[in-house]
Amino acid sequence: MAISKDIAVENARNDLATRLNIDSGDVKEKSVEDADFPDMALGAPEEDEMSGQMITRGWRITLEAQGQTFEYRADKNQVRAYKFNGKNYRI
Amino acid sequence: MNRNNIFIHVALAIVLILVAAFAGQLNKWRKQWKSHARIVTVEEKKKALSAEDISLSETRSLGAPEILVKFKSGVTQAAIERLTAERNDRVEDRIENAAGWEAIDDFDNADAATLVKEYQQLPEVEYAEPNYEINLEETGAGPLVPILPHDPQFNDQWALANSGQRGGKKGADISATLAWAKTTGSDDVVVAVLDTGVDYNHEDLTENMWRRPEKMDPYRDNELGTIDDENGFNAIDGTDPMDDNGHGTHCAGIIGAEGENNLGIAGVNWKVQIMPLKFMNAGGSGSTKDAIEAINYVIDRKRAGVNVRVISASWGSTQKSRALGDVIRKAYENDILFVAAAGNSSVDNDRNPHYPSSFDVPNVVSVAALDRHDALASFSNYGAKSVAIAAPGVDILSTWLGNEYEEKSGTSMATPVVSGVAALILAENPQMSVDDLKKKLLASTDPVAVLKGKTVTGGRINAAKALGE
Repeated sequence: MAISKDIAVENARNDLATRLNIDSGDVKEKSVEDADFPDMALGAPEEDEMSGQMITRGWRITLEAQGQTFEYRADKNQVRAYKFNGKNYRI
Repeated sequence: MNRNNIFIHVALAIVLILVAAFAGQLNKWRKQWKSHARIVTVEEKKKALSAEDISLSETRSLGAPEILVKFKSGVTQAAIERLTAERNDRVEDRIENAAGWEAIDDFDNADAATLVKEYQQLPEVEYAEPNYEINLEETGAGPLVPILPHDPQFNDQWALANSGQRGGKKGADISATLAWAKTTGSDDVVVAVLDTGVDYNHEDLTENMWRRPEKMDPYRDNELGTIDDENGFNAIDGTDPMDDNGHGTHCAGIIGAEGENNLGIAGVNWKVQIMPLKFMNAGGSGSTKDAIEAINYVIDRKRAGVNVRVISASWGSTQKSRALGDVIRKAYENDILFVAAAGNSSVDNDRNPHYPSSFDVPNVVSVAALDRHDALASFSNYGAKSVAIAAPGVDILSTWLGNEYEEKSGTSMATPVVSGVAALILAENPQMSVDDLKKKLLASTDPVAVLKGKTVTGGRINAAKALGE
Protein backbone atom coordinates (compact mmCIF):
# COMPACT_ATOMS: atom_id res chain seq x y z
CA MET A 1 0.00 0.00 0.00
CA ALA A 2 1.37 3.40 -1.00
CA ILE A 3 2.45 5.74 1.78
CA SER A 4 1.09 9.29 1.68
CA LYS A 5 3.11 12.35 2.67
CA ASP A 6 1.17 12.74 5.91
CA ILE A 7 1.66 9.11 6.89
CA ALA A 8 5.36 9.40 6.05
CA VAL A 9 5.76 12.41 8.34
CA GLU A 10 3.85 10.70 11.12
CA ASN A 11 5.98 7.56 10.79
CA ALA A 12 9.13 9.66 10.85
CA ARG A 13 8.05 11.51 14.03
CA ASN A 14 7.19 8.29 15.79
CA ASP A 15 10.47 6.72 14.78
CA LEU A 16 12.50 9.68 16.00
CA ALA A 17 10.62 9.73 19.30
CA THR A 18 11.41 6.06 19.78
CA ARG A 19 15.09 6.53 18.95
CA LEU A 20 15.40 9.48 21.33
CA ASN A 21 13.15 7.87 23.91
CA ILE A 22 10.87 10.91 24.07
CA ASP A 23 7.19 11.56 23.49
CA SER A 24 6.24 12.05 19.85
CA GLY A 25 4.59 15.32 20.86
CA ASP A 26 8.08 16.63 21.60
CA VAL A 27 9.14 16.12 17.99
CA LYS A 28 8.47 19.17 15.84
CA GLU A 29 8.03 19.15 12.08
CA LYS A 30 10.43 21.75 10.73
CA SER A 31 9.90 21.25 6.99
CA VAL A 32 8.68 18.78 4.41
CA GLU A 33 9.92 19.31 0.86
CA ASP A 34 9.47 17.44 -2.37
CA ALA A 35 12.80 16.00 -3.45
CA ASP A 36 14.44 13.85 -6.12
CA PHE A 37 16.67 11.24 -4.54
CA PRO A 38 19.50 9.59 -6.46
CA ASP A 39 18.36 6.02 -6.05
CA MET A 40 15.63 3.79 -4.73
CA ALA A 41 17.18 3.71 -1.27
CA LEU A 42 16.57 7.49 -1.35
CA GLY A 43 20.29 8.10 -1.04
CA ALA A 44 20.14 6.54 2.42
CA PRO A 45 21.17 2.90 1.99
CA GLU A 46 21.60 0.66 4.97
CA GLU A 47 24.73 -1.40 5.29
CA ASP A 48 24.91 -4.15 2.66
CA GLU A 49 21.99 -2.73 0.75
CA MET A 50 21.95 -2.47 -3.04
CA SER A 51 19.38 -0.26 -4.69
CA GLY A 52 17.99 0.55 -8.10
CA GLN A 53 19.80 3.48 -9.69
CA MET A 54 16.68 5.36 -10.69
CA ILE A 55 15.92 8.93 -9.69
CA THR A 56 13.15 8.63 -7.12
CA ARG A 57 10.63 11.32 -6.28
CA GLY A 58 9.82 11.66 -2.59
CA TRP A 59 9.90 13.96 0.42
CA ARG A 60 12.71 15.29 2.56
CA ILE A 61 11.37 15.58 6.10
CA THR A 62 13.25 17.69 8.61
CA LEU A 63 12.32 17.20 12.25
CA GLU A 64 13.47 18.97 15.39
CA ALA A 65 13.84 17.55 18.87
CA GLN A 66 16.05 18.23 21.88
CA GLY A 67 17.49 21.24 20.10
CA GLN A 68 18.77 19.22 17.16
CA THR A 69 17.53 18.68 13.61
CA PHE A 70 17.08 15.25 12.06
CA GLU A 71 16.50 14.30 8.43
CA TYR A 72 14.15 11.62 7.19
CA ARG A 73 13.54 10.64 3.59
CA ALA A 74 10.41 9.06 2.28
CA ASP A 75 8.55 8.07 -0.85
CA LYS A 76 5.41 6.12 -1.53
CA ASN A 77 7.17 2.87 -0.60
CA GLN A 78 9.25 3.68 2.44
CA VAL A 79 10.54 6.01 5.17
CA ARG A 80 14.19 6.21 6.06
CA ALA A 81 16.19 7.89 8.81
CA TYR A 82 19.13 9.65 7.15
CA LYS A 83 22.45 9.50 8.95
CA PHE A 84 20.99 9.16 12.42
CA ASN A 85 24.14 9.04 14.52
CA GLY A 86 25.99 8.42 11.25
CA LYS A 87 23.84 5.52 10.06
CA ASN A 88 20.88 5.13 7.74
CA TYR A 89 17.83 3.14 8.76
CA ARG A 90 14.85 1.92 6.80
CA ILE A 91 11.87 2.09 9.18
CA MET B 1 25.69 -11.34 -103.26
CA ASN B 2 28.94 -13.28 -103.23
CA ARG B 3 29.91 -15.87 -100.62
CA ASN B 4 32.23 -13.42 -98.74
CA ASN B 5 29.43 -10.85 -98.35
CA ILE B 6 27.13 -13.49 -96.87
CA PHE B 7 29.77 -14.32 -94.20
CA ILE B 8 30.22 -10.62 -93.38
CA HIS B 9 26.47 -10.09 -92.98
CA VAL B 10 26.08 -13.23 -90.83
CA ALA B 11 29.02 -12.11 -88.64
CA LEU B 12 27.53 -8.62 -88.29
CA ALA B 13 24.17 -10.08 -87.31
CA ILE B 14 25.79 -12.27 -84.66
CA VAL B 15 27.69 -9.29 -83.25
CA LEU B 16 24.48 -7.23 -83.09
CA ILE B 17 22.64 -10.05 -81.32
CA LEU B 18 25.48 -10.41 -78.81
CA VAL B 19 25.57 -6.66 -78.13
CA ALA B 20 21.80 -6.61 -77.60
CA ALA B 21 21.96 -9.61 -75.29
CA PHE B 22 24.83 -8.06 -73.32
CA ALA B 23 22.95 -4.78 -72.98
CA GLY B 24 19.92 -6.67 -71.69
CA GLN B 25 22.06 -8.52 -69.16
CA LEU B 26 23.67 -5.25 -68.11
CA ASN B 27 20.24 -3.79 -67.44
CA LYS B 28 19.27 -6.89 -65.45
CA TRP B 29 22.47 -6.66 -63.39
CA ARG B 30 21.82 -2.97 -62.79
CA LYS B 31 18.34 -3.72 -61.48
CA GLN B 32 19.62 -6.56 -59.33
CA TRP B 33 22.27 -4.30 -57.86
CA LYS B 34 19.67 -1.63 -57.14
CA SER B 35 17.38 -4.08 -55.42
CA HIS B 36 20.22 -5.17 -53.16
CA ALA B 37 21.49 -1.69 -52.59
CA ARG B 38 18.24 -0.62 -50.99
CA ILE B 39 16.19 -2.70 -48.63
CA VAL B 40 12.73 -2.29 -50.00
CA THR B 41 10.58 -5.20 -48.97
CA VAL B 42 6.93 -4.49 -48.33
CA GLU B 43 7.26 -4.65 -44.58
CA GLU B 44 10.35 -2.50 -44.48
CA LYS B 45 8.86 0.11 -46.73
CA LYS B 46 5.80 0.23 -44.50
CA LYS B 47 8.07 0.78 -41.55
CA ALA B 48 9.97 3.51 -43.32
CA LEU B 49 6.79 5.40 -44.15
CA SER B 50 7.24 7.96 -41.44
CA ALA B 51 10.96 8.34 -41.91
CA GLU B 52 10.65 12.09 -41.94
CA ASP B 53 9.55 11.95 -38.30
CA ILE B 54 12.91 10.76 -37.11
CA SER B 55 16.38 12.06 -37.19
CA LEU B 56 17.80 11.99 -40.63
CA SER B 57 21.15 13.37 -39.69
CA GLU B 58 22.77 10.35 -41.25
CA THR B 59 20.84 10.47 -44.47
CA ARG B 60 22.14 11.69 -47.77
CA SER B 61 20.66 11.94 -51.17
CA LEU B 62 22.15 9.77 -53.85
CA GLY B 63 20.31 11.50 -56.67
CA ALA B 64 17.80 9.64 -58.83
CA PRO B 65 15.30 8.27 -58.10
CA GLU B 66 14.19 11.17 -55.98
CA ILE B 67 10.95 9.98 -54.51
CA LEU B 68 9.07 6.78 -53.78
CA VAL B 69 5.38 6.80 -54.53
CA LYS B 70 2.73 4.29 -53.63
CA PHE B 71 -0.19 4.45 -56.04
CA LYS B 72 -3.64 3.34 -55.01
CA SER B 73 -4.69 -0.14 -56.00
CA GLY B 74 -6.41 -0.17 -59.35
CA VAL B 75 -4.21 2.54 -60.85
CA THR B 76 -2.76 0.96 -63.97
CA GLN B 77 0.87 1.07 -64.99
CA ALA B 78 -0.17 3.02 -68.10
CA ALA B 79 -1.89 5.61 -65.93
CA ILE B 80 1.16 5.87 -63.70
CA GLU B 81 3.41 6.42 -66.67
CA ARG B 82 1.01 9.05 -68.06
CA LEU B 83 0.90 10.90 -64.73
CA THR B 84 4.66 10.95 -64.44
CA ALA B 85 5.18 11.95 -68.06
CA GLU B 86 2.79 14.88 -67.62
CA ARG B 87 5.15 16.19 -64.94
CA ASN B 88 8.30 15.58 -66.94
CA ASP B 89 9.14 12.74 -64.60
CA ARG B 90 9.61 9.06 -65.26
CA VAL B 91 9.14 5.80 -63.46
CA GLU B 92 12.69 4.89 -62.72
CA ASP B 93 11.98 1.54 -61.15
CA ARG B 94 9.19 -0.61 -59.78
CA ILE B 95 10.12 -1.68 -56.32
CA GLU B 96 10.37 -5.41 -56.07
CA ASN B 97 8.14 -7.11 -53.51
CA ALA B 98 6.29 -3.89 -52.81
CA ALA B 99 3.12 -3.78 -54.86
CA GLY B 100 2.17 -0.30 -55.94
CA TRP B 101 5.46 1.36 -55.02
CA GLU B 102 7.31 3.19 -57.77
CA ALA B 103 10.62 4.98 -57.67
CA ILE B 104 10.19 8.21 -59.60
CA ASP B 105 12.89 10.29 -61.17
CA ASP B 106 12.48 13.96 -62.01
CA PHE B 107 14.05 15.72 -64.99
CA ASP B 108 13.45 19.26 -63.71
CA ASN B 109 15.79 19.14 -60.72
CA ALA B 110 12.93 19.83 -58.34
CA ASP B 111 13.78 18.99 -54.76
CA ALA B 112 12.34 15.82 -53.23
CA ALA B 113 10.08 17.66 -50.77
CA THR B 114 8.38 19.56 -53.60
CA LEU B 115 7.91 16.38 -55.58
CA VAL B 116 6.48 14.57 -52.57
CA LYS B 117 3.99 17.38 -52.05
CA GLU B 118 3.03 17.38 -55.70
CA TYR B 119 2.43 13.65 -55.84
CA GLN B 120 0.61 13.49 -52.54
CA GLN B 121 -2.00 15.83 -53.95
CA LEU B 122 -2.87 13.42 -56.76
CA PRO B 123 -6.02 11.38 -56.13
CA GLU B 124 -4.28 8.31 -57.58
CA VAL B 125 -1.54 8.43 -54.95
CA GLU B 126 -1.78 6.78 -51.57
CA TYR B 127 1.56 7.96 -50.25
CA ALA B 128 4.77 9.63 -51.39
CA GLU B 129 8.07 10.06 -49.61
CA PRO B 130 11.62 11.16 -50.39
CA ASN B 131 14.01 8.42 -51.38
CA TYR B 132 16.04 8.47 -48.21
CA GLU B 133 19.18 6.47 -48.33
CA ILE B 134 21.36 5.98 -45.33
CA ASN B 135 24.91 4.84 -45.42
CA LEU B 136 26.66 3.32 -42.45
CA GLU B 137 29.83 4.80 -43.78
CA GLU B 138 31.91 3.99 -40.76
CA THR B 139 30.82 0.38 -40.73
CA GLY B 140 31.11 -0.27 -44.42
CA ALA B 141 27.79 -2.06 -44.16
CA GLY B 142 26.30 -0.40 -47.22
CA PRO B 143 23.19 1.72 -47.59
CA LEU B 144 20.35 0.88 -45.24
CA VAL B 145 16.88 2.28 -44.84
CA PRO B 146 15.88 3.13 -41.25
CA ILE B 147 13.24 0.80 -39.92
CA LEU B 148 10.48 2.39 -37.90
CA PRO B 149 8.06 0.36 -35.84
CA HIS B 150 4.35 1.13 -35.57
CA ASP B 151 4.32 0.97 -31.79
CA PRO B 152 2.16 3.99 -30.94
CA GLN B 153 4.49 5.61 -28.40
CA PHE B 154 7.64 5.13 -30.44
CA ASN B 155 7.90 8.83 -31.17
CA ASP B 156 8.46 9.45 -27.47
CA GLN B 157 11.44 7.11 -27.41
CA TRP B 158 14.12 9.71 -28.05
CA ALA B 159 16.83 7.30 -26.99
CA LEU B 160 16.12 5.18 -30.06
CA ALA B 161 15.32 7.95 -32.55
CA ASN B 162 15.95 11.52 -31.47
CA SER B 163 14.26 13.83 -33.96
CA GLY B 164 14.60 16.79 -31.64
CA GLN B 165 11.30 16.03 -29.93
CA ARG B 166 10.71 18.08 -26.78
CA GLY B 167 13.66 20.29 -27.58
CA GLY B 168 16.23 17.51 -27.79
CA LYS B 169 19.23 17.35 -30.08
CA LYS B 170 18.55 15.67 -33.40
CA GLY B 171 20.56 12.51 -33.79
CA ALA B 172 21.52 12.24 -30.11
CA ASP B 173 20.32 8.66 -29.99
CA ILE B 174 21.66 5.15 -30.37
CA SER B 175 20.81 4.84 -34.10
CA ALA B 176 18.40 2.02 -33.36
CA THR B 177 16.37 2.53 -36.53
CA LEU B 178 19.45 1.91 -38.64
CA ALA B 179 20.49 -1.06 -36.56
CA TRP B 180 17.06 -2.58 -37.11
CA ALA B 181 17.68 -2.63 -40.84
CA LYS B 182 20.18 -5.33 -40.00
CA THR B 183 18.48 -7.11 -37.12
CA THR B 184 15.68 -6.50 -34.67
CA GLY B 185 16.99 -9.16 -32.34
CA SER B 186 16.59 -12.86 -31.85
CA ASP B 187 14.61 -14.98 -29.45
CA ASP B 188 17.62 -17.25 -29.26
CA VAL B 189 19.33 -14.65 -27.07
CA VAL B 190 18.47 -14.56 -23.36
CA VAL B 191 19.12 -11.44 -21.26
CA ALA B 192 18.81 -11.75 -17.49
CA VAL B 193 17.29 -8.70 -15.83
CA LEU B 194 18.64 -8.80 -12.27
CA ASP B 195 16.30 -6.42 -10.52
CA THR B 196 12.92 -6.14 -8.75
CA GLY B 197 11.55 -8.92 -10.95
CA VAL B 198 9.62 -8.30 -14.15
CA ASP B 199 5.90 -8.03 -14.84
CA TYR B 200 6.03 -10.93 -17.25
CA ASN B 201 2.33 -10.49 -18.04
CA HIS B 202 2.80 -6.96 -19.36
CA GLU B 203 1.17 -6.69 -22.79
CA ASP B 204 4.38 -5.38 -24.36
CA LEU B 205 6.68 -7.92 -22.73
CA THR B 206 4.86 -11.20 -22.47
CA GLU B 207 5.88 -12.44 -25.92
CA ASN B 208 9.53 -11.80 -25.15
CA MET B 209 9.73 -13.44 -21.75
CA TRP B 210 11.97 -16.36 -21.05
CA ARG B 211 10.23 -19.40 -19.66
CA ARG B 212 12.00 -22.46 -18.40
CA PRO B 213 11.87 -25.13 -21.10
CA GLU B 214 9.60 -28.01 -20.12
CA LYS B 215 12.41 -30.51 -20.47
CA MET B 216 14.69 -28.57 -18.13
CA ASP B 217 14.70 -29.52 -14.47
CA PRO B 218 13.56 -26.90 -11.98
CA TYR B 219 16.33 -25.04 -10.22
CA ARG B 220 17.67 -26.41 -6.98
CA ASP B 221 19.00 -23.89 -4.48
CA ASN B 222 21.03 -25.12 -1.51
CA GLU B 223 19.16 -22.88 0.89
CA LEU B 224 15.72 -22.54 -0.71
CA GLY B 225 15.43 -26.10 -2.01
CA THR B 226 13.79 -26.95 -5.33
CA ILE B 227 12.27 -23.87 -6.90
CA ASP B 228 9.67 -23.64 -9.58
CA ASP B 229 11.57 -21.27 -11.84
CA GLU B 230 9.09 -21.47 -14.68
CA ASN B 231 9.12 -17.66 -15.02
CA GLY B 232 12.56 -16.90 -13.65
CA PHE B 233 14.01 -16.70 -10.16
CA ASN B 234 13.20 -14.88 -6.95
CA ALA B 235 16.28 -14.87 -4.73
CA ILE B 236 14.45 -13.23 -1.83
CA ASP B 237 12.16 -16.10 -0.94
CA GLY B 238 12.09 -18.52 -3.87
CA THR B 239 8.60 -17.52 -4.94
CA ASP B 240 7.48 -15.95 -8.16
CA PRO B 241 9.75 -13.27 -9.73
CA MET B 242 6.78 -11.00 -10.48
CA ASP B 243 7.75 -7.34 -10.13
CA ASP B 244 6.11 -5.46 -7.25
CA ASN B 245 7.98 -2.21 -7.80
CA GLY B 246 8.14 -1.39 -11.52
CA HIS B 247 11.87 -0.74 -11.86
CA GLY B 248 12.67 -4.18 -13.27
CA THR B 249 9.74 -4.02 -15.67
CA HIS B 250 10.99 -0.65 -16.90
CA CYS B 251 14.48 -2.00 -17.52
CA ALA B 252 13.07 -5.09 -19.26
CA GLY B 253 11.04 -2.92 -21.63
CA ILE B 254 14.09 -0.93 -22.64
CA ILE B 255 15.90 -4.13 -23.56
CA GLY B 256 13.05 -5.96 -25.19
CA ALA B 257 9.54 -4.56 -25.34
CA GLU B 258 8.05 -6.35 -28.31
CA GLY B 259 8.41 -4.25 -31.45
CA GLU B 260 5.92 -3.75 -34.25
CA ASN B 261 3.02 -5.11 -32.21
CA ASN B 262 0.98 -1.90 -32.31
CA LEU B 263 1.28 -1.61 -28.53
CA GLY B 264 3.15 0.92 -26.43
CA ILE B 265 6.83 1.06 -27.22
CA ALA B 266 9.61 -0.83 -28.96
CA GLY B 267 12.59 -2.23 -27.11
CA VAL B 268 16.14 -2.04 -28.40
CA ASN B 269 15.34 -5.65 -29.33
CA TRP B 270 11.95 -6.38 -30.85
CA LYS B 271 12.61 -10.03 -30.24
CA VAL B 272 14.63 -11.42 -27.36
CA GLN B 273 14.10 -13.50 -24.25
CA ILE B 274 14.02 -11.63 -20.95
CA MET B 275 14.83 -13.76 -17.92
CA PRO B 276 13.32 -12.15 -14.78
CA LEU B 277 15.43 -12.27 -11.63
CA LYS B 278 14.16 -10.72 -8.43
CA PHE B 279 16.51 -9.78 -5.63
CA MET B 280 15.22 -6.29 -4.82
CA ASN B 281 11.99 -5.78 -2.91
CA ALA B 282 8.98 -3.55 -3.50
CA GLY B 283 11.00 -0.58 -2.26
CA GLY B 284 13.68 -1.15 -4.89
CA SER B 285 16.51 -2.41 -2.74
CA GLY B 286 18.04 -5.76 -1.90
CA SER B 287 20.96 -7.51 -0.26
CA THR B 288 24.31 -8.44 -1.72
CA LYS B 289 23.66 -12.03 -0.72
CA ASP B 290 20.49 -12.22 -2.79
CA ALA B 291 22.22 -10.60 -5.76
CA ILE B 292 24.87 -13.30 -5.54
CA GLU B 293 22.20 -16.02 -5.34
CA ALA B 294 20.55 -14.67 -8.47
CA ILE B 295 23.82 -14.53 -10.42
CA ASN B 296 24.53 -18.10 -9.38
CA TYR B 297 21.10 -19.00 -10.74
CA VAL B 298 21.98 -17.46 -14.11
CA ILE B 299 25.24 -19.40 -14.24
CA ASP B 300 23.42 -22.62 -13.35
CA ARG B 301 20.85 -22.11 -16.10
CA LYS B 302 23.59 -21.28 -18.59
CA ARG B 303 25.31 -24.54 -17.75
CA ALA B 304 21.97 -26.33 -18.13
CA GLY B 305 21.74 -25.08 -21.71
CA VAL B 306 19.98 -21.71 -21.57
CA ASN B 307 21.65 -19.25 -23.92
CA VAL B 308 21.83 -16.48 -21.33
CA ARG B 309 24.66 -14.18 -22.40
CA VAL B 310 23.97 -10.88 -20.65
CA ILE B 311 23.10 -9.83 -17.10
CA SER B 312 21.66 -6.34 -16.86
CA ALA B 313 22.29 -4.81 -13.44
CA SER B 314 20.65 -1.42 -12.90
CA TRP B 315 21.59 -1.16 -9.25
CA GLY B 316 24.48 -0.75 -6.88
CA SER B 317 25.99 0.92 -3.86
CA THR B 318 29.31 2.24 -2.69
CA GLN B 319 29.91 -0.83 -0.56
CA LYS B 320 32.34 -3.33 -2.00
CA SER B 321 31.64 -7.01 -1.60
CA ARG B 322 34.41 -9.38 -2.56
CA ALA B 323 31.89 -12.23 -2.81
CA LEU B 324 29.86 -10.25 -5.34
CA GLY B 325 32.99 -9.55 -7.37
CA ASP B 326 33.86 -13.25 -7.31
CA VAL B 327 30.48 -14.39 -8.61
CA ILE B 328 30.60 -11.80 -11.40
CA ARG B 329 33.96 -13.23 -12.36
CA LYS B 330 32.36 -16.66 -12.35
CA ALA B 331 29.78 -15.30 -14.78
CA TYR B 332 32.65 -14.08 -16.96
CA GLU B 333 34.14 -17.56 -16.96
CA ASN B 334 30.77 -18.75 -18.24
CA ASP B 335 30.81 -16.28 -21.13
CA ILE B 336 28.25 -13.90 -19.61
CA LEU B 337 28.49 -10.13 -19.97
CA PHE B 338 27.64 -8.04 -16.89
CA VAL B 339 26.33 -4.57 -17.70
CA ALA B 340 26.06 -2.32 -14.63
CA ALA B 341 24.82 1.15 -13.73
CA ALA B 342 27.59 3.65 -12.95
CA GLY B 343 25.48 5.26 -10.22
CA ASN B 344 23.56 8.48 -9.71
CA SER B 345 25.62 10.52 -7.26
CA SER B 346 27.33 12.86 -9.75
CA VAL B 347 30.73 11.64 -8.59
CA ASP B 348 33.91 10.35 -10.20
CA ASN B 349 33.93 6.59 -9.83
CA ASP B 350 37.70 6.55 -10.34
CA ARG B 351 37.91 8.18 -6.89
CA ASN B 352 34.69 7.02 -5.31
CA PRO B 353 33.95 3.55 -6.67
CA HIS B 354 30.41 2.31 -7.11
CA TYR B 355 29.73 -1.42 -7.11
CA PRO B 356 29.22 -3.67 -8.96
CA SER B 357 30.00 -1.29 -11.84
CA SER B 358 33.51 -0.53 -10.53
CA PHE B 359 34.64 -4.13 -10.21
CA ASP B 360 37.79 -4.74 -12.21
CA VAL B 361 36.42 -7.88 -13.83
CA PRO B 362 36.69 -8.34 -17.62
CA ASN B 363 32.98 -8.82 -18.29
CA VAL B 364 31.83 -5.69 -16.45
CA VAL B 365 30.61 -2.75 -18.56
CA SER B 366 29.88 0.34 -16.49
CA VAL B 367 27.31 2.72 -17.99
CA ALA B 368 26.81 6.47 -17.51
CA ALA B 369 23.65 8.36 -18.49
CA LEU B 370 23.10 11.03 -21.15
CA ASP B 371 20.16 13.31 -21.62
CA ARG B 372 18.35 14.17 -24.86
CA HIS B 373 20.80 17.00 -25.54
CA ASP B 374 23.85 14.69 -25.45
CA ALA B 375 24.87 16.14 -22.09
CA LEU B 376 26.02 13.94 -19.25
CA ALA B 377 22.99 13.65 -16.98
CA SER B 378 23.36 15.93 -13.98
CA PHE B 379 23.09 12.95 -11.63
CA SER B 380 25.32 10.53 -13.54
CA ASN B 381 28.54 9.19 -12.14
CA TYR B 382 31.50 9.12 -14.49
CA GLY B 383 35.08 7.89 -14.59
CA ALA B 384 37.77 8.14 -17.24
CA LYS B 385 39.11 4.77 -16.16
CA SER B 386 36.17 3.05 -14.55
CA VAL B 387 33.06 4.01 -16.55
CA ALA B 388 33.14 2.40 -19.97
CA ILE B 389 30.40 3.99 -21.99
CA ALA B 390 27.36 6.26 -21.94
CA ALA B 391 23.79 5.76 -23.10
CA PRO B 392 20.52 7.66 -22.94
CA GLY B 393 19.18 7.66 -19.38
CA VAL B 394 16.94 10.68 -18.83
CA ASP B 395 13.16 10.71 -19.43
CA ILE B 396 13.23 7.21 -20.83
CA LEU B 397 9.81 5.83 -21.66
CA SER B 398 9.31 2.16 -20.93
CA THR B 399 6.96 -0.47 -19.58
CA TRP B 400 5.55 -0.23 -16.04
CA LEU B 401 3.33 -2.33 -13.82
CA GLY B 402 -0.25 -2.96 -14.89
CA ASN B 403 0.24 -2.57 -18.65
CA GLU B 404 1.31 1.01 -18.08
CA TYR B 405 4.22 3.03 -19.49
CA GLU B 406 6.25 5.61 -17.59
CA GLU B 407 9.21 7.89 -18.12
CA LYS B 408 12.06 7.37 -15.67
CA SER B 409 15.62 8.63 -15.31
CA GLY B 410 18.82 7.16 -13.99
CA THR B 411 21.86 5.17 -14.91
CA SER B 412 19.35 2.37 -14.28
CA MET B 413 17.77 3.33 -17.58
CA ALA B 414 21.06 3.75 -19.48
CA THR B 415 22.24 0.29 -18.47
CA PRO B 416 19.55 -1.75 -20.26
CA VAL B 417 20.13 0.30 -23.41
CA VAL B 418 23.66 -1.12 -23.52
CA SER B 419 22.44 -4.58 -22.50
CA GLY B 420 19.97 -4.38 -25.37
CA VAL B 421 22.65 -3.46 -27.86
CA ALA B 422 24.75 -6.37 -26.60
CA ALA B 423 21.78 -8.65 -27.31
CA LEU B 424 21.46 -7.23 -30.84
CA ILE B 425 25.13 -8.00 -31.46
CA LEU B 426 24.61 -11.54 -30.20
CA ALA B 427 21.57 -11.94 -32.46
CA GLU B 428 23.91 -11.34 -35.40
CA ASN B 429 26.93 -13.09 -33.89
CA PRO B 430 25.65 -15.87 -31.65
CA GLN B 431 29.07 -17.39 -31.07
CA MET B 432 30.83 -14.15 -30.12
CA SER B 433 32.85 -14.52 -26.92
CA VAL B 434 32.19 -12.26 -23.96
CA ASP B 435 35.60 -10.62 -24.47
CA ASP B 436 34.82 -9.83 -28.10
CA LEU B 437 31.33 -8.68 -27.19
CA LYS B 438 32.67 -6.16 -24.72
CA LYS B 439 35.29 -4.99 -27.23
CA LYS B 440 32.59 -4.58 -29.84
CA LEU B 441 30.44 -2.49 -27.53
CA LEU B 442 33.30 -0.23 -26.56
CA ALA B 443 34.29 0.22 -30.19
CA SER B 444 30.75 1.17 -31.20
CA THR B 445 30.26 4.71 -29.98
CA ASP B 446 29.64 8.16 -31.33
CA PRO B 447 32.06 10.61 -29.75
CA VAL B 448 30.36 13.09 -27.43
CA ALA B 449 32.41 16.12 -26.46
CA VAL B 450 31.30 16.27 -22.84
CA LEU B 451 32.32 12.66 -22.29
CA LYS B 452 35.95 13.26 -23.15
CA GLY B 453 37.89 12.46 -20.01
CA LYS B 454 34.68 11.31 -18.31
CA THR B 455 34.41 7.77 -19.66
CA VAL B 456 36.77 5.21 -21.15
CA THR B 457 35.32 5.51 -24.65
CA GLY B 458 34.22 9.14 -24.55
CA GLY B 459 31.15 8.18 -26.52
CA ARG B 460 27.50 7.26 -26.68
CA ILE B 461 26.67 3.69 -27.69
CA ASN B 462 25.62 3.36 -31.32
CA ALA B 463 23.65 0.22 -32.11
CA ALA B 464 24.11 0.53 -35.86
CA LYS B 465 27.87 0.71 -35.50
CA ALA B 466 27.75 -2.25 -33.15
CA LEU B 467 26.23 -4.29 -35.96
CA GLY B 468 28.77 -3.17 -38.53
CA GLU B 469 31.77 -5.23 -39.43
